[in-house]
Amino acid sequence: MTPRPGTARRVPSRRSEPILLAAAAVLAAGGALLVDLAADAPSIEPLVTLVVFAAAFFGLRVAVRRWAFDAAAPLLGPAAVLTALGWVEVYRIDADLGRLQRWWLLAAAVIAAAALRLLDVAGVQVLRRYRFLFFAGALALLLLPLLPSSWPIRGATVNGARLWVRIDVGGASLSFQPGEAAKLLVVVFLAAFLADRRQALTVATRHLGPFRLPEPRQLVPIAIAFGVALGVLVYQRDLGASLLLLVVFAGMLYMATGRKTYPIATLGFVGLGAVAAPRLFSHVQVRVDAWLRPWADASGGGYQVTQALFALGSGGLTGSGIGGGDPGVVPAAATDYVFVAIGEEMGLIGSLLVIGLFGLLVAAGFGIALRAADTFRSLLAAGLTLALGAQAIIIVAGVLRVLPVTGITLPFMSYGGSALLANFVAIAMLMRISHEERS
Amino acid sequence: MRRSIRVVGIGISVMLGVLAVAAGYHQAVAGDRYRNDLRNPRAIAAVEDRGRILTTDGRVAAVSVDDDGRVGRRYPAAERYAHPVGHATLLFGDTAIEARRADDLRSPPPDSLASLIRRLLGDDLTPHDIVITIDDTVQQTAAAGLGDQRGAVVALDAATGEIVAWVSTPAYDPNRLTGPAAGPAGEELASRTDLPLVDRVRQAVYPPGSTFKVLVAAAALDAGLSPDSPLDDLAEYRAPGTERPITNFRDGPCEDGSTITLSDALVVSCNTAFAALGVELGGERISTASQDAGFGERVPFELATEIGFVPDADALDADLPALAQSSIGGRDVRVTPLQMALVAAAVANGGEAPRPVIVDRVIDRDEIVDETQPIFWRRMFTAPTAAALREMMIAVVERGTGSTARTDGVVIGGKTGTAEVPDAAPHTWFIAFAEHGERRLALAVLVENGGALGDEGTGGRVAAPIARSVIEAWMRSGS
Repeated sequence: MTPRPGTARRVPSRRSEPILLAAAAVLAAGGALLVDLAADAPSIEPLVTLVVFAAAFFGLRVAVRRWAFDAAAPLLGPAAVLTALGWVEVYRIDADLGRLQRWWLLAAAVIAAAALRLLDVAGVQVLRRYRFLFFAGALALLLLPLLPSSWPIRGATVNGARLWVRIDVGGASLSFQPGEAAKLLVVVFLAAFLADRRQALTVATRHLGPFRLPEPRQLVPIAIAFGVALGVLVYQRDLGASLLLLVVFAGMLYMATGRKTYPIATLGFVGLGAVAAPRLFSHVQVRVDAWLRPWADASGGGYQVTQALFALGSGGLTGSGIGGGDPGVVPAAATDYVFVAIGEEMGLIGSLLVIGLFGLLVAAGFGIALRAADTFRSLLAAGLTLALGAQAIIIVAGVLRVLPVTGITLPFMSYGGSALLANFVAIAMLMRISHEERS
Repeated sequence: MRRSIRVVGIGISVMLGVLAVAAGYHQAVAGDRYRNDLRNPRAIAAVEDRGRILTTDGRVAAVSVDDDGRVGRRYPAAERYAHPVGHATLLFGDTAIEARRADDLRSPPPDSLASLIRRLLGDDLTPHDIVITIDDTVQQTAAAGLGDQRGAVVALDAATGEIVAWVSTPAYDPNRLTGPAAGPAGEELASRTDLPLVDRVRQAVYPPGSTFKVLVAAAALDAGLSPDSPLDDLAEYRAPGTERPITNFRDGPCEDGSTITLSDALVVSCNTAFAALGVELGGERISTASQDAGFGERVPFELATEIGFVPDADALDADLPALAQSSIGGRDVRVTPLQMALVAAAVANGGEAPRPVIVDRVIDRDEIVDETQPIFWRRMFTAPTAAALREMMIAVVERGTGSTARTDGVVIGGKTGTAEVPDAAPHTWFIAFAEHGERRLALAVLVENGGALGDEGTGGRVAAPIARSVIEAWMRSGS
């Protein structure tokens, strides 16, 4: 793909960025103020929030201007507003989590800035060189939670899924979800691998009924990689991540080759899985039942689904106001179900704002992919965007009862440090790809 | 590749669009259903975390209780306050005072911004209690008087309008609408043919029968007649343009067949004399007297009241048989029991009717937050007319059809009514006032279809004794 002339320095499309960043910081601080006042416990938290959010967002903006100054896509603003909206609800549901998340945001900004600096030194292209290392790293991260519980670095099971790693540092223990970072590494690996073998995978040599297939040996490595990753996730009972991996895998194969066979085959695979999984795994059966018949067991299996609907319905058009609702009633309100808390306290207006901001992010991301300098960068941008968008859709569709709930965090909004780090690094990579458009 | 990236981008956008539609459905379309679902803890808090409703003598009519952490609304007096106090339920909403005073009874969510602002302004956000003007001892007597007969009793202070008793039967137990079996209970109550959910004091209209003669008498007095003016004492009266005669309750004339005074005609409730008097006075005067009494208007009150009906002057004049029948409270005339009680109140109060009052005060523990001041509603009669009507109504109880309401130690005036109902036993009425020291009570008693006596029922036999027991309870209560 050759850069188009006359498209340099389209910075005007990011002109609103500082306003959005400032608005996000003020939003977070204002939300904290409302929460404090409603609880009749004034504190300095709103001030701290203003300072931390402004520092994180504007620090990241400085890094972008330094190391990705040609980046044109309006990504940072929507991401910042989403982060602020989600944080207000996390802080409102659990102030301690909110305070922690604030430090995670600062860390995410620092790591994202570091990533930008690194990519400035080496260029995005460097990622392509280490693709198998990335894949090995992704597998290792995915396997980490399976470490025995007696080790200093050990796996931990939360809500029936073994997705967590705890590290004991002195007396304190630090938990993280390595799957979030693994997601990025898998996308980088797929982008590099597919950029290499695009031609080979596109040329059909075999026919299988209506489907045309490439040489099997071209597919074998990626099929094995995918199978192993999926196997680990299924073993860990991480339904959401499994589904996300499937979507990203099929989507990237399709985008690289333009062959519909891949998404159709994946759909068939999902279909088979959907039929077989409930019989094989009781926890899948529970989720499907809760989706199809939540009211039949509203105090048991359908509790989370129905309570989410109650919260959304109670929010109505304009919401109960921050501090006026009862979002804590819904299990996992600060993590997977943060969208419900927004819907209850900020109403349909808040829900649509969140969906719209994700739409802006996705549009900007695919815009970067379409203008990217080469196949690898284009696939990388498209893959990162697909992963972000698909993850948001999987969880929001779950809480809105469009799909069965497969637990996964809502990017930028749910409580969770690892996720925030990974998502801001994804934004940094997208900005850098946008910057390298002309190179 | 550009094409396939676009396709994926469009796919993601379409999915986001689907999510926006789903959010709109759950929050805007299905929102109300979710909000009010029994299993939604927010709904329970919104409906049931309310202050108490107390009677003026301290009886608890409605209270929220904390039952194992679940706040619930209870009605300790069960059926007795079903109509004036009403119910606050998740499935069937709120009624009566529970609905009208929901904001007074409830405190806003304690952690909302609105509450915060109000607290900063110095408002107290604990749920308030409401004290109603009803006296529980009188209320009990009224309910016992009606027993299992269908009907209504309303008694109020003639000067201030404060409601002392308010009973509609059959009643229902509001507790049934709040418990786990609320759904079937509500459906059963709504489907019953004896209409327990209807407040017969204010939501039902009846032909007033002979109680309407008070207004015809007022029209006659205003036209220059006196209580002693002679009327024709006829055995039957045929209005111009009809062959169907109007007769008296006992066949024959009311007295000796010559003349009867206006006062005596009221005392014995003489149909022929009043029908002829109405036609002689003309539609204009009957209509004006009715309008002066507020018929055809909504009674200004805490709770919405049904509007009664009296044909206008032109319609009455155009149809003299109808005018004759209307003059004895039949044909198209319709009123609520509350409306008739206010007529009695005006007679006892020099012609002025008060606005009825049922909420006495809103209190926060012992402190009064809001207190209802008695307000004048309308002048129904001139002072001389009211004075003459008072004497005539006292005579009704002393020696006429209302003698069954007589009791010692109190001056009582009243008027009976027995309103014909096609193909059923007549509705029986008694409207009255009682004067005890400085206090004056006005009341209306209505028993549908003759009550326990059926076709044998008359205002004097069925309704007046209930009025007497209510008056006696009121005398004892001191309220």
